[in-house]
Parts: sequence; structure tokens; C-alpha cells
Amino acid sequence: MRRALLALWLGLVGLLPGTARADLVYVLNSADASISVLESTTREEVRRIPVLREVHHLILSPDRSELMVGDSGGNEMIYIDPATAEVKRRERFSNPYHMELTPDGKLLVVTSLRRDQVDIYDSASRALLTRLRVPDKPSHLAYTPDSRMVFVTLQGARSLMAIDLAERKPIWTAEVGSQPAGVTWHRGRLLVGIMGSDHVAVVNPADGKVERTIFVGRGAHTIVPSPDGRVLYVTSRVDSRITVLDGETLNPTASWPLPGGPDCIAFDPQGRLWVTLRWIARVAVVDPATGQAETIPVGRSPHGIFVQPRATPLPPLTVSEVVPPPAEAAVVPTAADAGTAPAHQPAIWRRMLTR
Amino acid sequence: MNALYDAYAALTGWIFEHALQPLLYAAGLMDWAEDLYDWLDFALFGLFGILAVWLVCRPLEAWRPVEPRQDRRAIRTDMLYTVLTRLGLLPLLAFVFLASVQAMWEGWLTEQGLLPPTLEELVPALRAHPLLAFACYVVILDFGEYWRHRAQHTLRWWWALHEIHHAQRQMTFWTDDRNHVLDDVLAALWFGGIALLIGVPPGQFPLIVLLLRLAESLSHANVRLDFGRLGERLFVSPRFHRLHHGVLSAGAQGKNYAVLLPVWDWVFGTADFRRGVYPPTGVPDGDEALATGGWLRQQVGGLRRMAGALGLRRRPAAAPSDAAGLDPRPGPQARTRTPA
Repeated sequence: MRRALLALWLGLVGLLPGTARADLVYVLNSADASISVLESTTREEVRRIPVLREVHHLILSPDRSELMVGDSGGNEMIYIDPATAEVKRRERFSNPYHMELTPDGKLLVVTSLRRDQVDIYDSASRALLTRLRVPDKPSHLAYTPDSRMVFVTLQGARSLMAIDLAERKPIWTAEVGSQPAGVTWHRGRLLVGIMGSDHVAVVNPADGKVERTIFVGRGAHTIVPSPDGRVLYVTSRVDSRITVLDGETLNPTASWPLPGGPDCIAFDPQGRLWVTLRWIARVAVVDPATGQAETIPVGRSPHGIFVQPRATPLPPLTVSEVVPPPAEAAVVPTAADAGTAPAHQPAIWRRMLTR
Repeated sequence: MNALYDAYAALTGWIFEHALQPLLYAAGLMDWAEDLYDWLDFALFGLFGILAVWLVCRPLEAWRPVEPRQDRRAIRTDMLYTVLTRLGLLPLLAFVFLASVQAMWEGWLTEQGLLPPTLEELVPALRAHPLLAFACYVVILDFGEYWRHRAQHTLRWWWALHEIHHAQRQMTFWTDDRNHVLDDVLAALWFGGIALLIGVPPGQFPLIVLLLRLAESLSHANVRLDFGRLGERLFVSPRFHRLHHGVLSAGAQGKNYAVLLPVWDWVFGTADFRRGVYPPTGVPDGDEALATGGWLRQQVGGLRRMAGALGLRRRPAAAPSDAAGLDPRPGPQARTRTPA
């Protein structure tokens, strides 16, 4: 009898609202011309959104109501309702590779890795304010908290560039190491992942001088602070691991092997890390307490990633959403333009049938 | 199928992580990682293509050969060409080079306030019909291949290189890749240039290459096979292409230049749909080194003949000799043989 009551109680607890989660995880498949939408609980891909060419990075819009996904090869910005995975519209946009809004939300800075350009836009209107021609391969960027400066890594030039956003012109360019990739502002210093080497460079934002290096493993790439800011996670692509740095001292406190070339990181409401694994077409879900990981298949070369909290599962697609919209609707996609596909057909055919 | 995809992803991931990426890191070229990862598809699709072609064409050649396999040494040379070509080194170099040129070009365009268009922007219906878009890319690239092929026959210096391909008298499915390296470079630049111009998605590019390569290998096979009255007009068959390789078909009076779709020959008046015609292949009065020499000898011979055609050597190349650079030899019907 006791066992039966316990089972009943556990069952009722399972039905209580708020205990179940169905967060949506957006994964940009850069070599598959698509976006995978995963459900965090079932680990299943519930949508596959086709794009034109190559999607790499994504951010929330200034009012946080839309996901802005940059299709760099397709010269397009895709706007998605993060709660429903619906493509709201698409905008012609010059080679959006990496992009971030300034902390005050007023400006949008976009790097064009292949075209050696850094573009500064008004974030509300997306009007281009300045296009700067910069040295080889501008990659990632970070801001000062007061939104006055942006720092851009120049992968092909071993350098970091500081750009004054009021003047909209470079202030300094300093050598920081071989193929610098990710850059993060952290407690008055810049942390730069030196992809051509094995460390993170701690850089003085005033002059670009490297003050310290922290060993993390070959192919150091992105540096992402945890939601509470107490630790930082660093991905290393060649040694294929995540290194945990203490937020106060920047000393490594743990190192988790993660095969497959870890790259970008996002956090779900439970604090777990969702990590794209570039070379094995998977994402990893990592427990921050133990470093234990499980992986989920997605498309080729997954890069940018984002977690949208959601309590209930996404409803199945209706017939009208499955059927591609008419050509006219595709010219100026609207909310009715599904732009999504069920993820049920085999992935190799999806790859064939999507751009 | 998902299991197959997962296995492929695991294989490419393992190769990249354990073999290619450490080399890139050692060479200080980590910023080319994505490009090399894309190239892996070319190399593996190339190897897969060799296997697929062998599985399809070898039984066909054993079933109904046009001619007996007598010169096995010449066939082995063609095999070497195939392996060298399909590892995908040239497409990689062409793609990297062209991608850099494209980036410069698009960078300049955007600085002038223009955004480079995509095919889907010009024809919006393609966005909603990706399979149709894929087919459009194939058709456009195949059209480009038709005109490249005609140029190979029409221009004296280019014919001097392309003659290596036609010199084979023992044509089999291995003959498809029998080309001078410089000819391959030009072909890769031509093909890659068109692909980048029309904006072929990187993920589809290896698939298109694989499709065209499979069609080309089959069309070179030593098999007495045509696709019927209608089929001959839809897709290039071994019969259709063997006529192109006929001993009297080389040069500007040649026929059947198409790679995948015979419609281009039809439209531009170079089609020969006579079924049942299987002429001997090769180049009459051509350089014997190009026909029976080893790989290196053929390469050197091709360069010499090209230098001659360009007037850089005293002895000019033998083929196309009139003022316009056109081949004056009679058409293929003069010496064709009918099937037994």
C-alpha cells in the first residue's frame, strides 16, 4: 500500500506544471545550409529550417523578441520567433558572420570574415553607419560594458583591433598571437582564444598588450562565461576539450575531454552547457558539475547555438506548414511562410534537398 | 539512412580530427580549417565515386564490350589518372583560389553599395523548391561544361592538351580522368568559377561534382549500350560519347560534346544520334607518346604540343591546323564501323 501511494505521489509530481521542460535549442549547421531545432528534453530534432548558404552565428534582436541568424554566404539575415521556430522574415544583409549588439543595445557590429570588413549598424533600423576595411579575417568581437569600444580579432593578421564606436574608427591594432578567434570582456580585461596556439591571452584593453597567457590546450577558440559569471568555459578545437577557468583568478580548475571539435556554447535554464561539435555533426550536452557529456546528431559543421526556454513541447507542424509556401510568399517571407520542415526524413536526403 | 549519415559524419570527423587538423595546426593554418573540412567531402565522394563507377561499369563492360581489352597497360595509366584526379586536390585548390577571388570581388561590390545576388533571389521560386534549385545548378554547370568542351576542341593550344584525353585507343570507364594536369586546372577554374558565380551552396557542390563524374565515367565505358530513341536525347550514353571519341571526330567537326545532357548538342547543331554506331577511338596521326606513354610522358608531351601550338616551339601541334584553329579532317561518318 505504501509503495502504491508513493508511486501515485511520484506520478502526480510528474504531472505538476512547471516540472516538465521543453526548451528549444537552435543549432546552425554551417555546412548543411540549415538550422536544427532540438527539444531539450526528448533530445529530438523537431524542426529543420532551410537557409540559403552558410549560417554561423545568431543573437537576440534588441527587443529580444526575435532571433537574428546571419547567413554569411547568402548575404541574408533571418528573423525567427524563438518561441515557435517560425521564420518571420528575411533581410538582404552583407555577409553577416559574427555579430553582437552593444550592451546599450544601440549599435550592431558585424564582422565579415571573408571580406575583411567590419560593419557598424544602427541596431533598430539596421541602417549601415560605417563599413571599415580591416586586415585579414575579422572574426569575433566583444565590447566594453559602456558600449564605447568594440574589439575584433583578426585571424589572418595575428591581431586584435580596437574600434572607437563614437568615432567609428580603429584606435589600435596589436599582435596577440597566431590566429586569434574568440574574444570576451571579463572584469576589465579582454580574454582572447589563440586558435593557432594552446592558450588564452589576457589583453589590456587600453593598449592591446598581452599581460598573461593561460594554457588551455591546442586550438583555443571561444571563451564563454557561465550564467552566474563565476567560471569561464574555454573550448579547444585541436585538443578537443573544454577548460574551466576560475572567474576570479583565471586559473584552470577542470578540463573535460570532448571529442569532435567543440566550438560555441549556450546554457539551458538548468545550467547545462550545449556545445556544438564542428567535425562530427553533433551537439554535446554537458553537466557543469561533472563534465559528463552526451551527444545528439544534428547537421554538418554545427556552429552557433542558442537555447530558448519553453515549458511545453512545440506542437506538430500543420499540413499548411509542411507544404512549401507559394513562390510569391517566398519572395517576401511572412509569418505564413513556414520556412521550416519536419525533421523526419533521413538527414542525408535533407542535406540533398536543402541548400 | 540516418545511420549511414551518422557513420559518414563519424568517419569524416575522425579523419579530420586525427589526421588533417593536427597538420593544419602544425602548419599554422588553423584559419583554413573549415575549407579543409569541406574538401574532405570532395576526397571521400571521389573515392566513393570510383567504387560506384567500378561496380556499375565493370559488369557492363564484361557484358557487352565494344572491343576486347587488349592494351591493359594503357588502361592502368588511366587508372592512375583517376586516382590522382578524384582525390580532389584540384577542386580544393580551385575552390580556395576562387573563394578568395570571390571574397575580394564581393567585398569591392559591397563597398560600392551593391549586394551580390543569389540564384534564389533572381528566381524566388527556387527558395521553396530546393530540389528544383539543385537541378538548375546542374543544368547551368552542364551547359558550361558543354562550352568548355567545345573550346577544348576549337582552340589549338587547348586541343594540344586535350588530345591526351582523346589519344586513348582502348577507351574504358577509367578514361574519363585521362587529362593533362593543366587541362584539369583550367577545367576546375572554369567549373568552380561558374559555381561560385551562380552561388552553388557549398554543401551541394560535391554532390553535383559526384553526379557529373558518375555520368562521365559511364559515358566512357567500353560497353555497347544506348538509352533508346528518347533516352539518347535525355542523357549522354556510352554510345553517344564513344562517337565523340571516334578517330575522326576530334577537332571542330566533332560531335556530341555534352557531358550529361545531349540537349546542348541538339540546340547547337553538334548532335549525332545515330544509334548503333561505335567507331574506333583515338587520334589518327597523333603523338604516339600521348596514346601509349606513361603518365609523365603524356604530361610532358602535352606541354610540348601546347608550346608548339602557341608558337613557343618550332614544331607546331599536329591537330587543328586551319587559320581559325579548326580541325579540317573529315567527319566521323567516313570511318565509322557498325556493330556486329
